Amino acid sequence: MSDNEAPPPVDLLRVDAIAGARLPRRERDREPGLTLDRVDFDYQGHVILAGMDFELERGASAVVTGQNGCGKSTLLYVAAGLLPPRRGTVLHAGNPLGALFPSARVQRGIRVGFVFQEGGLLANLDALSNVSLALRYHYDVLALDETSLMAQAEAALETAQVSRTDWHRQPAHLSFGIRKRLALARALAIKPNFFFFDDPDVGLDPRTAQVTHQILCQLRDDPEVTLFVATNRPQLIERLEVPGYRLSAGQLSSHSGKSSLPPSGSFTRPGA
Amino acid sequence: MADQGKAGESLLTGLGSSALHAYRVAGALLLTLIAAYRSSSAPGIGAREVCRALTVRQIFYTSFQALSMISVVALFVGATLTAQSEILGGPLQRETTGRVLVTVVVRELAPLITAIIVAGRSGTAIATEIGVMRVNSEILALASLGIDPPRFIVWPRLVSTTVSVPLLTIYFSTMAVLGGFIALFFIDSHAVAEWRSGAVLGLSVIDLPLVLVKTLGLGALVGWVCSYYGFEVGSSPTEVPQKASKAVVQSLIACIIYNAVITMAFYGLLVGGRLQ
Repeated sequence: MSDNEAPPPVDLLRVDAIAGARLPRRERDREPGLTLDRVDFDYQGHVILAGMDFELERGASAVVTGQNGCGKSTLLYVAAGLLPPRRGTVLHAGNPLGALFPSARVQRGIRVGFVFQEGGLLANLDALSNVSLALRYHYDVLALDETSLMAQAEAALETAQVSRTDWHRQPAHLSFGIRKRLALARALAIKPNFFFFDDPDVGLDPRTAQVTHQILCQLRDDPEVTLFVATNRPQLIERLEVPGYRLSAGQLSSHSGKSSLPPSGSFTRPGA
Repeated sequence: MADQGKAGESLLTGLGSSALHAYRVAGALLLTLIAAYRSSSAPGIGAREVCRALTVRQIFYTSFQALSMISVVALFVGATLTAQSEILGGPLQRETTGRVLVTVVVRELAPLITAIIVAGRSGTAIATEIGVMRVNSEILALASLGIDPPRFIVWPRLVSTTVSVPLLTIYFSTMAVLGGFIALFFIDSHAVAEWRSGAVLGLSVIDLPLVLVKTLGLGALVGWVCSYYGFEVGSSPTEVPQKASKAVVQSLIACIIYNAVITMAFYGLLVGGRLQ
């Protein structure tokens, strides 16, 4: 099935079955990807993650759902190594992240792409500089020269369908949808092997949502990329067809019923 | 008796809580500095080049763009000091007037007023910019891209204020002396030669290490304290002006205390108060 085609209806009760259907590929690639080992996290006593154990093999993908405020974004931040856990260890490809500076992670071959709910774009840089910044910062590690660096940044912008007319505009002068695509381009530019996406299609127009879904499907199918997505959108969950987990009371559990998803009809199908 | 006991207990609790808060802030301040220093020496040619360019830009913002403000303040401070000295000393003390101006300006006023201007101007900008970056998840985004926030954000600002305060102090001193000269010219143009010889006598080689230690320290304090308070901002935009204001106030207090301690330590202990 091409990613451009509308996906067939999927029974949301059968997410586990869908996940199982994709397992053979995972069985073949038994390399460590993302590991959370007895991870605790709280905000001033409000427990978000409680002794969480989670394993996602290299090249595997997963979706996490949960009620608003349950800590999906925080889980992604902790899993990506952006917030240190209170206790426990987070590992990427077997490397504990705690003792490593962000730049040291890149030097060890851990390239993280993270798309924030609100974009997290650098306000004082234009779109192209936002995308090329990490490449410039790590050009020696990534073996890039000025030409290849710019080519990689431009390719990422084109993949995310950010129009050339917007490349030299600052984020404040771009619409929400373009900012979201720009954030996606920035995360893609470094050719990540760990990709985290927080609420990919919230507030997006159908076209932008479609672009986002296509890119997510490509990342899902890339054996080098470990993909972890937080969303409550049934349409995206259907389309990704990856194992689903529900975050509740600081623990992840496999999707097993409609209760883990928002009521049907709470979303609109792109292009509908 | 019971009321007195409760009041004493609450006073002790308050003191304990303040001491604990001060201890936490001191610890966090130290961690900010250590993280900035450690990350600045982390490997990475690209990282070094990007951060060097940022540092140069920050030095330009902090020093070059402050020149007009420093000029105005220094000229009028110099002129006021000269006018006051003239009122106190009169025509017979012109040499002393020149000497006092240079001594007071170079040793005390120039470093401190420059640090105050840098704290008010660049310190606010540093704390606000970092605070806004925190609110907009820009700092998390940098970390996600493998960019070390202490190296990319704190270190260039720390270096820029540390380099800028000494440079601006030299400029301030020059402009203040010029202001004094202009003021005296209007008061009595014939007294300029005598005043100038006093001004030259006011300069001493021993002032150089003092001014250097003072200005480097004052500059570092401004960059360090303001960066720390910028990072203290949580997720709410309303915290940004609160922390920015706190950053400036705390850095000014730190500068004033540091200035006094260095002056007393230098002239009291090192030169035994013999300097005239």
